[in-house]
Amino acid sequence: MAKYGMIIDLQKCIGCNACTVACKVEHNTPNDIHYTQVLEHESGTFPNSSRTFLPTLCNHCENPPCVPVCPTRASYVRDDGIVLIDHERCIGCGACILACPYDQRSRVEDERTVFHDGLTAFINNANAAPPKGVATKCDFCYHRVDRGDVPACVETCPTRARIFGAWDEGETPLRQFLAGHDAQGLLPEKGTEPNVLYID
Amino acid sequence: MYSQKIQEKGGELVSTPTVCLGCYNSCGVKVQTVSGKVVDVVGDKEAVNSRGYICAKGRARFLDLYDPTRVLYPLKRGNPEKGIGVDPQWRRITWEEAFDIIIPRLKAVREKDPRGLVISHFDLPAYGISKAFGEAFGTNNMTWNRADYCGAAPHWCHLITNASFNGELDFKECKYMLLWGTQLGHLAETIPLLSADEMAEARRHGAKLVVIDPFCTNTAAKADEWIAIRPGTDGAMALAMANVMINDLGLYDRGFLVRRTNAVYLVQADGHYLRDGATGKPLVWDRKDETAKAFDAAGVGEPALDGVFEVAGQTCRTAFEALREHLKQFTPEWAAEITTVPAAVIRRLAADYGTAARIGATVEIDGHTMPYRPAAVHFKRGSGAHKGGAFSSFAIHLLNILVGNLDVPGGQRGVNPLGPFWQPDVDDDGMMVVAQHIAKYFKPYPARKAAVPESLDLHELLPVSLFTRGLYPLGIDQPEKFGIPYKPEVLLIGRTNPMMNSHNAQAMAETLKKFDLQVSFATFIDETAEFADIVLPDAHDFERWDLFPANDPYAFIAPGPGQWYWHMRQPSLQGPGETRPWTEVYIDIIERLGLIEDFNRVGETAWNISEKHRLDRTKRHAIKDIAERQAKTLIGDHFTFDDVSRTSCLITRDKTMEEAYPGAFVTGRLPVYFEFLIDARADLERVIAELGIEWDFRPYQPLVTYIPCLEHEPAEDGFDLHIVNFKLPFQNQSVSQQNIWLDEIGRANPYTYKVMMHPSAAKRKGLKDGDRVLVESHYGKDEGTLKVTEIVHPDCLGIPGMLGHWARNLHVALRKGTSFNTLLPPPSIERIDTLSGQIDTCARVRVTRIR
Repeated sequence: MAKYGMIIDLQKCIGCNACTVACKVEHNTPNDIHYTQVLEHESGTFPNSSRTFLPTLCNHCENPPCVPVCPTRASYVRDDGIVLIDHERCIGCGACILACPYDQRSRVEDERTVFHDGLTAFINNANAAPPKGVATKCDFCYHRVDRGDVPACVETCPTRARIFGAWDEGETPLRQFLAGHDAQGLLPEKGTEPNVLYID
Repeated sequence: MYSQKIQEKGGELVSTPTVCLGCYNSCGVKVQTVSGKVVDVVGDKEAVNSRGYICAKGRARFLDLYDPTRVLYPLKRGNPEKGIGVDPQWRRITWEEAFDIIIPRLKAVREKDPRGLVISHFDLPAYGISKAFGEAFGTNNMTWNRADYCGAAPHWCHLITNASFNGELDFKECKYMLLWGTQLGHLAETIPLLSADEMAEARRHGAKLVVIDPFCTNTAAKADEWIAIRPGTDGAMALAMANVMINDLGLYDRGFLVRRTNAVYLVQADGHYLRDGATGKPLVWDRKDETAKAFDAAGVGEPALDGVFEVAGQTCRTAFEALREHLKQFTPEWAAEITTVPAAVIRRLAADYGTAARIGATVEIDGHTMPYRPAAVHFKRGSGAHKGGAFSSFAIHLLNILVGNLDVPGGQRGVNPLGPFWQPDVDDDGMMVVAQHIAKYFKPYPARKAAVPESLDLHELLPVSLFTRGLYPLGIDQPEKFGIPYKPEVLLIGRTNPMMNSHNAQAMAETLKKFDLQVSFATFIDETAEFADIVLPDAHDFERWDLFPANDPYAFIAPGPGQWYWHMRQPSLQGPGETRPWTEVYIDIIERLGLIEDFNRVGETAWNISEKHRLDRTKRHAIKDIAERQAKTLIGDHFTFDDVSRTSCLITRDKTMEEAYPGAFVTGRLPVYFEFLIDARADLERVIAELGIEWDFRPYQPLVTYIPCLEHEPAEDGFDLHIVNFKLPFQNQSVSQQNIWLDEIGRANPYTYKVMMHPSAAKRKGLKDGDRVLVESHYGKDEGTLKVTEIVHPDCLGIPGMLGHWARNLHVALRKGTSFNTLLPPPSIERIDTLSGQIDTCARVRVTRIR
């Protein structure tokens, strides 16, 4: 079974947020809930100051701290490594939200999405908008992956800063890219072994 | 699961290829609908300038189709009072009722003086419709929009040097990219998706990026080096760099200057060229036999680039000698004082850049040996939108000219100066003249004859400008001052929002009130539509056909090697309610005025329709019909709409080497010395004297110079910060702020809805991060939330985007962010660049805490 991962090229990311919107469209996430976001960080003092962009999403960890803490087994890992939440099973207790060291899970306090008046034309995602009271997060666009496409954020990125693929299947773009760079996951000290890696 | 889901909703996924009009850039997209409802917009992989990618704005904007505040029916104003914050008291009317008000009024204006009609929009593919409409009606006032706040000066430079409207860089080969007051390659400028991809790739492969900007924009954030400069002083720094390159380092391309510029032309003491007595041609000094000869005389061996000579008893020198001497006054120390950029940094950048350009290097591509110059500078509104903007832009562009990198591999490039049916000319002086097809409006060179204005944009007083669209408020407010023999009466306006996108809103409100009848074509009631007497419900661009090609046949085709491609905009769905595309409504009006024949006659030329596909001039033709005839003319008789059923991008052929790298092939010269401005000035002085008005003649001189912005004069009035504005990659001008998703990004972003101040300034004023502040200039004010940050020049207040909406209907956008433009004064002679018509965007502000 292929194991999926993503590499984000921080040098290429220009903070345009095309990924943020692509994800909103794909998942019809409730207002102000983002499965991927571009964080910004400032450094230095003028005139040697700058800002950096850090795209974030669920890291689909090898050792996901969110999964064992789930009392209803709503959080689970697919064979291909994608960490998912079964919204039917989720009781919204928030244990996983606290357990995630990356702050990548949100509780749906208000399930309304854009145009919640029934006119919504958002049927382009296999995932219906999550119901009120559950935990939710990036699902690596598993519905797209299952039909052979890359996640929406990857497809849309104008600078090709995101590379998606299988770690363990021949010469994939992901492996080719990994070969030339020193890729790091976030917060390695947490021992989560993320499947989302970053290169500078 | 995917298809199952669609079937559950009772429909099939229909994908309509078209062209995004979220900004002016014409990216190919596919609008996906199910049962007539848009469910997504994705990139079109076959579209050459977007390659399947799409930006945040383009993806999100289909929400606009379904926004509950969208205008669905014609509306009539109930409240005769107009003003900011005044409720217009809209009343729904029928289209017939709307026409019953509009048509008699237009007939009356036309009878009295058709120039009383002003047309305003910023809708590039539809310029052909308003042009035919305006000419048929008889008005010359049909181009009002805010373009002069943007690129009038940079475009001016590109037209006279690249023979093109826009500039760009050869990202694939360029190893040293200097961006000056622009965010090219960061989804905020020309051909954004292609340039973003190519520039990111270049950076990844080691190309160096240097960004000069008072604020650390998204672009500056990606730079190897960010140089923060005081706003509006860019010309001073560029002149100092040019001085260092020529006079200290000798870093310039002699061959290029000799062959492709007027640097070798001999100039006399009065500034004019020294000309051949018989032919009138400019003379050069031939080093081979030490005599003066016409520049194009047979047997000119070695034209002198430097030197002072005696010719027929007259002392003269080469234009380059004049420039070199002239530049000596602009020392890095002088520039450092003005710009705040240290002299050592200016010297180092000049050396780094000049060295990186590899003057003298060549490259062979497909059997052609061409200059290879892998260093280039690009500039746009940030450095250009100032007093003296044309010269500031030219001073920056001089850095390109000096290394001879124009339109050759690795260098700076114009956007398609040569095309399948256009090419630049060469005049009798040997100078390059941009093709009319590219210039579109006016050519900056040769100068036109100045005249007392007959147009409200006063272009007759700016005889070397390309357009003066931002100057309409000057003409509208005081036509008599400029000798204009009529008054503005009716305004047809849509897809542009001058209340927000130009200058102080109170001043613009007074300008709008000058019209007896304002008809706004609107999808939303924005700040300008709030002043309308009649609002007509406009279609979204996903609901309309457009003239062909929608990518305006040059400006939005990627320059450099590649292909020629042309886009068809086509509707993906029917507009809701009683909405109609404004372009079709213009034809309704023309028909009701009985002018359809005139409209078609003008249109046939404006729309480049061949003899074979001629219109029936007596009949109304739908936009789709016109587009089909245009497509058959351009693509060939075989064109059918089936050809655009899979992609909207029609590729005709590969570019030739000449088209890809015109710099290595064209022969016309570009100016480093503006001899033509001497005579243009004399001519203009005559007209200005006749009008008895003030004028700024400083830019009318042959050598590029620095003209400070008005607001740089020292002041002890507490207005101590310069405002600086920059684009956001996820907002488009003043039109996208009502979008819920883009608003979400803005709210989550640390800068979008803030005003940025350096800690030293905040400390001085006793302000802290998060304070609500009042931002006041001498001309206007707005409120803001303070972000104290190290990424802004200490002399500046950074204000992003075109934010701070106040129109009552725009509930998402309302009062979010701060309006930069409302802090600017209305244009005046002392605040414009009198060469290009560019309007100065410098203003100082006072910032105080709101208690």
